[in-house]
Amino acid sequence: MSNVTRRDLFRGTVLAAMGGGALFLARKANGQVVWQVDASRCINSRLGEAGVEACNLCTTECVVALSAVRAVNEYSRCGRCNICPAYFNITSAVNELGQPSEKLCPRDAIVRKPIGKVDPEDPANNFYEYVIDESKCDGCGKCVMKCKEPLGLGSIVLRVRHDRCVNCNRCAISEKCPKDALRQLPVGQALG
Amino acid sequence: MQYRQVQTIGGFNTAVRGLATDCQGLLYAAGDSEIKVFDTAGRLRRQWATARPGHSVGVADDGSVYAGEEGQIEIFDAAGKPLRAWRNTGMLGRVTAIGFVKDSVLAADTADRSIRRFDRDGVFLNKIGKDNPVNGFLIPNGVLDFAVDAHGMIHAANPGKHRVERYSPDGALLGHIGKFDGNDPAGFTGCCNPTNIAVSDRIYVTEKAVPRAKAYDFNGKLLAVIASDVFDANVKNMSIAAGLNGRVYVVDTVKLAILAFEPVAA
Repeated sequence: MSNVTRRDLFRGTVLAAMGGGALFLARKANGQVVWQVDASRCINSRLGEAGVEACNLCTTECVVALSAVRAVNEYSRCGRCNICPAYFNITSAVNELGQPSEKLCPRDAIVRKPIGKVDPEDPANNFYEYVIDESKCDGCGKCVMKCKEPLGLGSIVLRVRHDRCVNCNRCAISEKCPKDALRQLPVGQALG
Repeated sequence: MQYRQVQTIGGFNTAVRGLATDCQGLLYAAGDSEIKVFDTAGRLRRQWATARPGHSVGVADDGSVYAGEEGQIEIFDAAGKPLRAWRNTGMLGRVTAIGFVKDSVLAADTADRSIRRFDRDGVFLNKIGKDNPVNGFLIPNGVLDFAVDAHGMIHAANPGKHRVERYSPDGALLGHIGKFDGNDPAGFTGCCNPTNIAVSDRIYVTEKAVPRAKAYDFNGKLLAVIASDVFDANVKNMSIAAGLNGRVYVVDTVKLAILAFEPVAA
């Protein structure tokens, strides 16, 4: 100890301060959290809740215009069905094409088009792609509820769009969500 | 025409998927990696293990029992003694239905979205339901089911089209019944119904969301909604089988039970 000079002590203090600062910055970057909807908790997408009304608190509570929460179709799970319960109001009258005459989305935010080798004579003989127009979607959850198993395949879920979310410390939706489905996750674990 | 529930058969631990009946009215169920055989009173008569979890079961005229699994069909004698197995992951991706026409065996392969026809030695003969613009049956639920009528015609549920299609054994599409309707019980609702089918002197089907079992004549006229509110609301892919004297067996895949129904005399 006696060999330690004032210069050594000063140097050590500076290095410790630099290291601590770097560590602090790294921690801040790593600790950045964002809000995310847990689909396994959201009443619109969680299994086992058949026959209940869609929850629209993501629309009504979010401070962002329309809502930072939007419906997203996970195509890997989509059946590309002719009659999609998330696109059509399946209890509306059947039209001359054998399809429901009304759409489900109140904002007409889902675009439907046949894909692959198209049979123009028989609509049931085609696959269909369902694309959500996020500029129209307000995250009301109606399509999510109807896409949920067993009625659908559960390919449509609600997601926080991080380019829209202002990342409030106390998310207004999370304050009201009855299922505590809005969760903060580290950036690296959050879905896009 | 009305039906009433006459029996509930339980005792399954993890799954009950495929059903079949034989000419004596015995009920065969594939589930729990076993074949279970019940008499008409619902008593378990015998059971034996399958090598893999069973997705379907069929009983041939000679009493041999075929179990459809992932990548293979196991064949047992009537007592459950293993006779042979057809292993072919390319031809038997997941076998969710088995049937018999004269000297051939039919297997629904969900991986290929088609029905494959084999001779009794397991030699592939032809595909059924593959030659169309969507390259097979539309089965978003992951199950392809069919049944064979007394004339050897194949009736296959095509849920994505909301139809029951009728094929000859060589694969010719002969016609179909059914259409989408979200209100009229005569139609098939949701994204993809009916999911499962059985045939005797009429056509029986099951649907999901809202779960129900129904009976049609061969012209597509609805004869009866056999049952609806007795099933768990979240159930799907309910296997169905026709027994003796109009009895119908339906699997509730959530409650892990087989429900038996019989027509009520007028």
